[in-house]
Amino acid sequence: MLFRDAFKTATRSLAHSKMRSVLTMLGIVTGIASVIIIMSLGDSAKQYIVGQIQSMAPNMINVQPGAPVIGGAPSSVMGLVVKTLVARDVESLKREPSITNVAPNVTGSSRIVYESKSKSTLWIATTANIFKMTNLNFSSGYGFTSADETAYRHVVVLGSKLAGDLFGDVEPVGKTVRFEDITFRVIGVLEPKGSGMFSMDGYALIPLPVGQKQIRGIDYYQELNIQIDPTYDTAFAKARIISILRTSHQITDPTKDDFMVTSMDETLNMLGNIMSILTIFLAAIASISLIVGGIGIMNIMLVSVTERTREIGLRKAVGATDRDILQQFLIESVLLTLAGGIIGILVGATIVGLIYVVLSTFFSIGWVFAFPISAVILGLAVSGISGLVFGIYPARKAGKKNPIDALRYE
Amino acid sequence: MIEIHNLKKEYIVEEETPTRALRGVTFSIAQGEFVSIMGPSGSGKSTLLHILSFLDRPTGGSYTFQGKSIDEMTDQELARVRNKDMGFVFQSFNLLSRLTVYDNVEIPLLYSDTLPAKRRTLVEEAVRAVGLGEKLHTEAGKLSGGQKQRVAIARALVTDPNVIFADEPTGNLDSQSGLQIMEILESLNNKGRTVILVTHETQTAEFADRIIRIKDGVVESDNPITADRLRRGNLK
Repeated sequence: MLFRDAFKTATRSLAHSKMRSVLTMLGIVTGIASVIIIMSLGDSAKQYIVGQIQSMAPNMINVQPGAPVIGGAPSSVMGLVVKTLVARDVESLKREPSITNVAPNVTGSSRIVYESKSKSTLWIATTANIFKMTNLNFSSGYGFTSADETAYRHVVVLGSKLAGDLFGDVEPVGKTVRFEDITFRVIGVLEPKGSGMFSMDGYALIPLPVGQKQIRGIDYYQELNIQIDPTYDTAFAKARIISILRTSHQITDPTKDDFMVTSMDETLNMLGNIMSILTIFLAAIASISLIVGGIGIMNIMLVSVTERTREIGLRKAVGATDRDILQQFLIESVLLTLAGGIIGILVGATIVGLIYVVLSTFFSIGWVFAFPISAVILGLAVSGISGLVFGIYPARKAGKKNPIDALRYE
Repeated sequence: MIEIHNLKKEYIVEEETPTRALRGVTFSIAQGEFVSIMGPSGSGKSTLLHILSFLDRPTGGSYTFQGKSIDEMTDQELARVRNKDMGFVFQSFNLLSRLTVYDNVEIPLLYSDTLPAKRRTLVEEAVRAVGLGEKLHTEAGKLSGGQKQRVAIARALVTDPNVIFADEPTGNLDSQSGLQIMEILESLNNKGRTVILVTHETQTAEFADRIIRIKDGVVESDNPITADRLRRGNLK
């Protein structure tokens, strides 16, 4: 039997029972749409996060106190107090030619009060160069300066959301807020960066010595953010930083490092890997619905084979071979799953598009619309293969039917 | 054309004593003969027809069709012979009711090596030959019983087979339609085709030149129609 004729016969059979065909396809539609949505959203999230990091911190290297842990976070991140990063380190690093800026910081959490309003917030005590290093712009006022740091001036820069929560429509610049029993004069409000994970919109920034010495009363730093001269290779700069810190900390054995240096490239790679693994994991979970859909196809095809037993008998009586019958039923199941796959891809694309519109329009998130072609290819391939896998058993069963028994079937 | 010798067929159902449907049947049928196979229910006549038409294999004896033994043929070869050299007319028509007359008649050609362009001509000729030219694109399910059986005959004719097997072709029809069907089969035989008919109706069987009577899986009698009538004291 020519493939063209087998295809025509199969499409006619499917068209004859439209409602059943549509209902049978639903499982595959759901499965493929789920996988497409998860893969697309995973890709979007990855691009969004990478974009956020790159826009806020180009050429950045981060130093955390505490011993590096392979495949994990340094001990300081795990809640342990590690006091190894100090002013001497910052001075040494500033002398390195491949480094353009070093911004140490200390953080804390306080309830910030303006008149009758208050809000629990995270404050970051850091140096004035942080504004330039991380591309932070002001919607009003300006940032603090080195002079403010030296003079221990009680000035604060508010994130846009924090300013909005505390001041509403009132212009915050020039007003005073209070936290940790200190009155701070608001000198600037940052431009909103959206509600992304690296947004400063909800934070308060104060001069380093005020937070470190006056509020926390410590002489170490919780983190160093280092900007690299773009003409230098990041790996080289990272190696230099490690070398400088080892010298400063008098470490000769590399396994005894009491700091962890991470370049933004590494962070991006790590995040990229995490997102990819997460996406694959979620897509694998979603693909369970594909298996369920495939079993549905197999079930309906078995019913179809039973219902059409006499037709099979007749076709065999007039010359169809086992292979002709197998081919006809296999084409039917592959057509069902492929059609389900195409519809699933369209449904997935529509939902991904809707999510993009909703996040961009209503939540002001600079979400990236991603619809990877690999997801489309995967969707089509998986649906086609599931048609073959789940269709082969019913098709073989149809092909093996004895013509006499099939013709006698009531 | 057809030669069977000591043909046997046993069915084994769940380890019970085998059911012997055919216990050693011997006869031959020449090209162009019109043969009726008669017998009461359970006599083995349908089993014999299924074996003769390659829908089933014997469990003993020999069967030679156009000089070739069935034992030497694979299932695929049997399918090819069924398609090329045999036509089938069933009691219950076995039409696909959702398909048109054209599509039903075309089915055997789908499994042959006939080119698509040639198929249309063959189908139209076969449908016209049974007098249903105007019903070509009518759904088979919407036809009367007699029309359905004529479509089934067109389907049997479309590959231009040497032999037509008809299993109780008038069994589901009124007498008028049954007569029309038998006249079509008779005219096909007059044009040189071998027709092998299974029936339990004497009136239908008498369209043939020869009647083979089967009883309890063996040939009870095998006579030309006149001798058969004489034997029953019915010669007019």
